Amino acid sequence: MLKIFLIFIHIIILYAFYQIGNWIQFIFNLLIPGSVIGMILLFLLLATNVIKVKWIEAGAAMMNKHLTLFFIPVTVGIMNYFDLFKGRGIILVLITIISTIIVMISSGLISQWLATRKEAKQHE
Amino acid sequence: MNNIIIAVPAIIGTILIYIFSIKIHKRYNYPFTLPILIATCLIILILLLTNVPYDTYMSGGNWISELLGPAVVALAYPLYKERMVLKNLLIPILSGTLVGSLFGVVTGVLLTKGFGFDAEIIYTISSKSVTTPVSMAITESLGGIVPLAAVFVMIAGISGGVLSKYVFTFIGIHHHLSKGIALGSSSHAIGTATALESSDLEGSISSIAMIISAMAVSVMTPWLLTILI
Repeated sequence: MLKIFLIFIHIIILYAFYQIGNWIQFIFNLLIPGSVIGMILLFLLLATNVIKVKWIEAGAAMMNKHLTLFFIPVTVGIMNYFDLFKGRGIILVLITIISTIIVMISSGLISQWLATRKEAKQHE
Repeated sequence: MNNIIIAVPAIIGTILIYIFSIKIHKRYNYPFTLPILIATCLIILILLLTNVPYDTYMSGGNWISELLGPAVVALAYPLYKERMVLKNLLIPILSGTLVGSLFGVVTGVLLTKGFGFDAEIIYTISSKSVTTPVSMAITESLGGIVPLAAVFVMIAGISGGVLSKYVFTFIGIHHHLSKGIALGSSSHAIGTATALESSDLEGSISSIAMIISAMAVSVMTPWLLTILI
């Protein structure tokens, strides 16, 4: 019972960060989502020890574990867009797959080059 | 009153279908049995069969999606937990994810534009490499089609998870660090699940890459779009 209460409080704190993020987005007229601003802010405050991890831990762990649940209702909205995938829409699927492979290759090669270079230096 | 009659079963039904789809995925562990895919298809099927429009379902569904914002904020927690891995491998992780994010947005936008799709579609596809809740948030602030964003993210995740081992062999990516970075940057949580099958370290590197690229894509996409469109 205490655990549920704790999770509830933690989610309220996370929700407050979300609203602060929205507020920053609004004030500075940004296109970066308020939730992402809230995430960056929370990470910085955790890293600098201003916010103690135990103030959000139980709620954050629960939300991470069940992340999928929170976007199911929005995903269901695709039912209003079935027409998009008739005919030319299939091109979008191919574009997504090609672009995904390009991300994989570019990020993989760059980091591999840097990592092996660093390891080679350490061996010298 | 009418709203409550729809809203309560919509909330409870969504949670039950979510639990069911997780059980299915645990039993038959393939990329195409992802809980989000099974749950979405099942709910759409039920709504179509019972003739309930999406907006009516959302009078309950909205209560669940209201938690998307704090759920994105909560991603700071795993990043914080892995901060030592992040600190030790800062340069390769940052360079890999930033370059990957850049290529992902640029190729997605240019290809879609090249094939003559509407701006709405271009906005929606631009953030397909990042985790669903963040991609949805980016798409919303850009003015794209939010549920469609989830579809592109799913395609990026599943195709990346399935194709990664062939791509890695073909291109010659064999360092566990770069495999984790590549999977997290291109295929978010599905990539991370794939990375976890190799090792715990590769999994945590992948989850760091997933969160860093979510931040990077959020920041660079609005700016890149003004240049590319």
